[in-house]
Amino acid sequence: MKALQGREVLCCVGSGGVGKTTAAAALALRAAVEGKRALVLTIDPARRLANSLGLKTLGNQETRIEQSLFADAHLSPRGEMWAMMLDLKRTWDELVRRAARTPEQAQAILGNKLYQTLSTSMAGSLEYMAMEKVYELYSSGRFDLIVLDTPPTSNALDFLHAPDRILDVLDNNAMRLVLGPLLKAGKIGFRLLAAPSSLVLRTLARFTGIDFLRDLAAFMLAFEGMYEGFKERAAKVKELLASSRTGFVLVTSPNPLTTQEALFFHRALESDGIRTAAVVVNRVQRDPRRHGGPDNLPALQEALRLAQIKDENHLSDRLCQTLTEQAILADLDRREVDRLRDTLRGVPLFTVPRLRKDVHDLAGLWQIGEYLGGE
Amino acid sequence: MPALLDRRLVVVTGKGGTGKSTLSAAVGLAAARRGKKVLVCEVVAKERVAAFFGKPPSGPQIRELLPNLYSVHVRPREAMREYGLMTLKYETLYKLAFENAAARYFLAAAPSLAEIVMLGKVWWHATQETERSRLRWDMVVLDAPATGHGLTFLTVPEVFLRLVSEGPLARDMRSMMLLLADPAKCSVCVVTLPEEMPANEAIDLDRALRQHHFPAGPLFLNAVFESRFTPAEVAAVTRGGPSLAAAGEAADNHEARADLSRHYEALLRDTVPRELVKVPFLFERTFGAQAIEKVSRAVESTL
Repeated sequence: MKALQGREVLCCVGSGGVGKTTAAAALALRAAVEGKRALVLTIDPARRLANSLGLKTLGNQETRIEQSLFADAHLSPRGEMWAMMLDLKRTWDELVRRAARTPEQAQAILGNKLYQTLSTSMAGSLEYMAMEKVYELYSSGRFDLIVLDTPPTSNALDFLHAPDRILDVLDNNAMRLVLGPLLKAGKIGFRLLAAPSSLVLRTLARFTGIDFLRDLAAFMLAFEGMYEGFKERAAKVKELLASSRTGFVLVTSPNPLTTQEALFFHRALESDGIRTAAVVVNRVQRDPRRHGGPDNLPALQEALRLAQIKDENHLSDRLCQTLTEQAILADLDRREVDRLRDTLRGVPLFTVPRLRKDVHDLAGLWQIGEYLGGE
Repeated sequence: MPALLDRRLVVVTGKGGTGKSTLSAAVGLAAARRGKKVLVCEVVAKERVAAFFGKPPSGPQIRELLPNLYSVHVRPREAMREYGLMTLKYETLYKLAFENAAARYFLAAAPSLAEIVMLGKVWWHATQETERSRLRWDMVVLDAPATGHGLTFLTVPEVFLRLVSEGPLARDMRSMMLLLADPAKCSVCVVTLPEEMPANEAIDLDRALRQHHFPAGPLFLNAVFESRFTPAEVAAVTRGGPSLAAAGEAADNHEARADLSRHYEALLRDTVPRELVKVPFLFERTFGAQAIEKVSRAVESTL
């Protein structure tokens, strides 16, 4: 893809189930074959990439795709292809260890009950850590291209603003004010505190119970002094994402619901000053009528007769029905592709036809990659 | 065990794009046809069900779609407010506690508070909301978020109770857990497609749901292609020359998809210990009330 040349980070974005993982892996594979050291990073909790790459397991560690897999697919890459799956908890832990001023501070955070929950189940946590990991890998200089397969986020802004939101949780002045009495108590051992004093604190406590607020205060205390480091790094991540070194690839299927979401995503990127680098429409039904020939019942019956095929068990009826159905699917898909093209004028658009079989090996990925090759 | 349509709460889960909203609407419609008063609750960012029936979005207000069939879009902010008001009773107190910068923080920091209040609202509709001193709804259908998030959503009471054990929220979370674990009142269904990734995710999701002891509802295999041609027929038509090229390709495509359907049906029957309900692929130019009606007719005899 010319549109993607010169980029060092590609983020494949789009709703769930549109073939984002496959597109991401196909892009990395193409780059590897062309001589780059390419890595595909997936963060989907379901083990999809492992499936696409014919790998059984894929840890938080970069794994190089074995030569034998390439040989099976009759490919001889001039570069290297690597894959990894993000381990959310581990990436958080690494970040905390790196940012902590002392090993004791790191331990205090890692052992906090609230941290455990926050790091794994807070909304936006996955998005934040994905970008953190991309930045880490990018800075390592070990790869020429990093392709990120993003989680199926329903809200694009969640994805781009996750770091801000999470950082807001770690250091929020308003909350500091509310938790004030507990924070102060914390410094002298907050177990001494009998009851929360402020009205807001009392009201919140009625809602959740005081123990939770105590945990929260302990958590905020543990993080003290680390916020700046986090913030600085998040700013760098954002800078990388917004720079011309990064390209956002919108992946969608021709389903009206997913194209709507793709357009929504495109606008969200735009409002952040980021241009969509390319659009990939996966699984587009090809119209069998492009071959010409009859598509109505009498003409089909005549064609069968001429080809000396017996019209048994309503074969002509079944063929006619099937042709009609697939023409409907092709029309619907074409309508959506046209709508995308019109709306995203100027953005390179690639269509990948629906393949006869599921993609679950490098050969299949390569086939998909071929459709992403032209302009 | 009561039939699916006799449960209080039917949860529809599955990977994104498999047709959860379609199946939620179809199950709701099937129950409504049997005279039950049904509320479909959507909790994802964008609501879809009302549009199926040509109605404007419900938003946080309950909207009648058809006689006996209603929908509502459960959103964190309004759910939070409703729930907060219910617990705190006084508007001013609520405003003081929740409509300020600290609350914004609190919403983000309290583990999945947004999910908690949304699930709380669904639970309230299913078991607490009354009309003329009887329960307002015979059945509540929850169109759950996509796979990974769907499980997080349903296990939110469990996670929350590990952290918070006192207060009104903890008390309601306990009732919610009981409802979600009660096979007489609740059923958690899975929707999937005859494709590799969705099928594999359905297998993982089914296992995780059973590990958490959610009452196992049916597995809906959506968009199934049934075989229509014998291999000999496909071969003959494909070789039938240029005038049959289109027909040959169409038949071949159809059988390729029917093969996939058959393959994943067999795989899922082997690995997922749930009743498998097939939903045929629909060739509709517009996906509306008619399509939902067809899906609902296709599945209702098994519910």
